[in-house]
Amino acid sequence: MPNKRLLHIESSGQLCIYCGACVGICPLNCIYLDETRITFDERVCTRCDICVKACPVGAIAIG
Amino acid sequence: MKDLTTDVLVIGAGPAGSVTAKFAAQHGAKVLLLEKRQEIGSPVRCGEGISKAWLPEVGITPGRWVNVEVEGARIFAPNEQVLEINERSAGNEVGYVIERDAFDKQLAIDAANAGAEVMLKTAATGILKDGGRVVGARVKRFGEPFEIRAKVTVGADGFESQVGRWAGLPTNLALRDMDSCLQYRMTGVGSDDRYCDFYLGTCAPGGYVWVFPKGNGVANVGIGVQVSQIRSPAEAKTYLDRWIEHHPAYARGKTIDIVGGGVSICAPIKQSVTAGLMLVGDAARMIDPITGGGIANGCIAGKICGEVAAKAAHSSDASLEALQAYEKGWRAKLEEKLYRNWLAKEKLVSLSDATFNKVIDALQGVKLEKLNVHNILKAVHDKYPEVTKEFEAFL
Repeated sequence: MPNKRLLHIESSGQLCIYCGACVGICPLNCIYLDETRITFDERVCTRCDICVKACPVGAIAIG
Repeated sequence: MKDLTTDVLVIGAGPAGSVTAKFAAQHGAKVLLLEKRQEIGSPVRCGEGISKAWLPEVGITPGRWVNVEVEGARIFAPNEQVLEINERSAGNEVGYVIERDAFDKQLAIDAANAGAEVMLKTAATGILKDGGRVVGARVKRFGEPFEIRAKVTVGADGFESQVGRWAGLPTNLALRDMDSCLQYRMTGVGSDDRYCDFYLGTCAPGGYVWVFPKGNGVANVGIGVQVSQIRSPAEAKTYLDRWIEHHPAYARGKTIDIVGGGVSICAPIKQSVTAGLMLVGDAARMIDPITGGGIANGCIAGKICGEVAAKAAHSSDASLEALQAYEKGWRAKLEEKLYRNWLAKEKLVSLSDATFNKVIDALQGVKLEKLNVHNILKAVHDKYPEVTKEFEAFL
């Protein structure tokens, strides 16, 4: 089941540059950027993979 | 904090929001301009190259935010053959390389001086609706929630726009409608301060690599890659690093800043207003799909948006019909070019390196009064008729 997989947004600053590319492209509007913290609503997220592609630095993974 | 009331509420103090606020205030409206961050203009997420012919129209005077005034642009084919175009033939797509944070601050100052109130550290958390009409926003200021009721609300909240989505406006982007962008500000590079440089082809699928000079050996070196052409995570970075590695003048440079972001490259959106609400700038997907530039269009639309907002507030009529003046106004100014450039972009993203090489070669030495799609295709057709077969729709 694809939607059982975990979406992992690395927002501890090791990879994420808080650019908001994922926020703007998310078709369900379930990713939130608050200064230097990125979160997503896992109840809404369908693990569609779009944000993984949009992230310029590879800080989002579906595991 | 007590709930507030205003005529015009502008959410987002980027260029489009500040210009909207300025013109609304100049036309006599009581204006609140919100910015979620503590500092306007920062962090910068921008290549910082702007054209300049439009600046007087929206009352912007060049100031200390100008880094470099460029003379023209150079387009590099995949085989590195160069097409040099001056500002006139580039249709004013080049002009200044700017200090974007200083630019944004100046526009906010202009808005404030025109009479707008500016509220920092104030984030919109939702819109207020009354019988299908937008009547303001729920906000948090320094974490404290309250409501702002407004006769007209303007969503100028950028690429990540929430306001349009909350209102149900069609701002969603498909994968092909967005470029994933990454830029390094580099020092010690051999950039030429006279030109903004653009590198085409498979070095940046569905986008391009840019080098915008900021003076004194500093340049913004960036890339946009169409998301639908991305195959594995972090490809924007992989492509940019590879390009730099293959260009010794830049490989020697040192990166002092990293900037990322999304840029929409879509066709004009179908609807930018609903009762009580207008979207402007990147939030309304007004970015030019060829250049990826959004500041000029956002400010030009912002002027119209501010004027219409003030009028709607004055007559207490912000109905969908009343706000059509903005919808029609910005489309009259921008839509044809946005649509034309979107069509051209749809073709460009599919070209092979060999075709790009031929196109750039065909344009060498051709006197182009005005660099537009039609003139380019005609020149290419004269030298490589087989290449233009796929472009017949444009001729």
